[in-house]
Amino acid sequence: MRRRGALTPYLFLLPGLLLFGVFRLYPLLDGLRLSFTNARLGRPQYAWVGLANYERLLDDTRFHASLWNTAFYTLASTLPILAIPLALALALHRGVRLTTLLRGAFFFPFTLSVVTVGLTWLWLLDPVIGPFSYYLRALGIPVRPWLADPATAMWAIILTTVWWVAGYYLVVYLAGLQDIPRELYEAAALDGAGGWTSFWAITLPLLRPVLLFVFVTHIIGSFQIFGQVFILTQGGPGDATRTVVQHLYETAFQNFFHFGSASAMAWVLFAVIVGFSLLQFRLLRGHTEY
Amino acid sequence: MRRGALTTVMLALAVLWLTPALWVLVTSLKQTPDIIRTPPEWIPWPATLGHYHEVLLSSSRTARIGRAFLNSAIVSVGATLIVVFVSAMAAYPLARMRFAGRDLIFGLLIGSLMIPNAVVLVPQYVLTQRLGWLSTYQGLIVPEAAMTFAFGVFLLRQFFLTMPRELEDAARIDGAGPWQIFLRVVLPLSQPVLGALAIFAFRSAWNDFLWPLIAVNKPDMFPLPVALALLRGAYSAESYGPIMAGAALSALPLLVVFLVANRRIVEGVRLGGLKG
Repeated sequence: MRRRGALTPYLFLLPGLLLFGVFRLYPLLDGLRLSFTNARLGRPQYAWVGLANYERLLDDTRFHASLWNTAFYTLASTLPILAIPLALALALHRGVRLTTLLRGAFFFPFTLSVVTVGLTWLWLLDPVIGPFSYYLRALGIPVRPWLADPATAMWAIILTTVWWVAGYYLVVYLAGLQDIPRELYEAAALDGAGGWTSFWAITLPLLRPVLLFVFVTHIIGSFQIFGQVFILTQGGPGDATRTVVQHLYETAFQNFFHFGSASAMAWVLFAVIVGFSLLQFRLLRGHTEY
Repeated sequence: MRRGALTTVMLALAVLWLTPALWVLVTSLKQTPDIIRTPPEWIPWPATLGHYHEVLLSSSRTARIGRAFLNSAIVSVGATLIVVFVSAMAAYPLARMRFAGRDLIFGLLIGSLMIPNAVVLVPQYVLTQRLGWLSTYQGLIVPEAAMTFAFGVFLLRQFFLTMPRELEDAARIDGAGPWQIFLRVVLPLSQPVLGALAIFAFRSAWNDFLWPLIAVNKPDMFPLPVALALLRGAYSAESYGPIMAGAALSALPLLVVFLVANRRIVEGVRLGGLKG
């Protein structure tokens, strides 16, 4: 009887841990093992090759381009992703009617799949018959083949992403804003502080944990960007928008079926993400401690 | 006065924000020759449901959408049921019982939230192949559930911790075992958060693209995002209509969920997002 009681928590945990262990933990570690082999799709036998896959990545110019593109995407998208939803949230938080309706309108794109979002913008940005180009032309702004031009393709992907996810971050910000006590603003107003002053002195500092959350979530997500690229550009033109996961997908499942080197890429990506997360937490935690 | 002005500006912005989605809907209702006409026409007249008919019912190459819709529904409902039930079972002892290894297990689950799906892609494919699960429902359902499980545990444990213990104690005094308490007391009291998790899990599974893209190679088994993405290759004047009809259909289930449970979704984002 006593033994049965002691086992109870483990019995509750069993299905979950089985699911987690077999389909999450084991693949993670198996990927590390595969990265030291020359495994290929459909080849049952493969050999240990040591660090060969990682050494090859040092010479793989396409991998370097994909790292650079991913970094560029991450850097260029961070400011719009942090600022646009924040501006919308501030407007919705104070002094607006119909908050629920408006919030719903901005949130809606986030309920769509990346494929639906990608197809939507592919159609909108069409240089010949897409409305985006039509109206720009009507305004006298020169039109380019946005997705086929290396100078604009990545920006088109960023625009698409902002439209897709801004509503989610808007809701996150709104929740954070609601947790800031009203009295602080009232006290500040009594002291004669205007809108801008209280934004810099109250809102922004108290929103720091939320900003950190948005920042970290966005960066981790950005390193893994794939669907938008796959639908909008397939990594082109040339290598202009080929990101790490797009390259990984092509290496493993489209062109070379080389599981070993794809796994090495996956672990480089993982290391970058973990390293970056730890760095961010350290840097930003240091700031929040008073 | 200022309030009215700001509301007007925000309303205009919201309309602008929804324009891309509206354009998809309008296109899907137009007759094929009208679709590529410029200047863009925002009223689909004469309107037609022909593209919807084609993707759902005909046997042309764009017609896998109907089947894909069914596949997506089966996979998403299956994954959601597993996630909700298995996460609740795991979160309950983590919130309420003392046992060896509890903190280690919880730490491992939280740490795993940082594992990018792309990193386990290849080994998960190898595993699924070895199980003989490629192009099967279980090959989609179980990995999708595994992706959301840790988040579910995190969300539910948080909620269980805030639940008053009195009801559970009362049930225990009445002679109920832990399993009965879990089923009869804890789960019914947790309906709002279970609902939020169900929506989250459904959205993840319904919209996931990368895993089904590689785990399925039989057209009959494609879920919606993959079926739609492969239509992209067929992009031409004749297929804009069907593609946009497919895109609109793929948005429908979550739109309905969203309209019904707007508040709950927001609450879910709040619970799950901010306590991380």
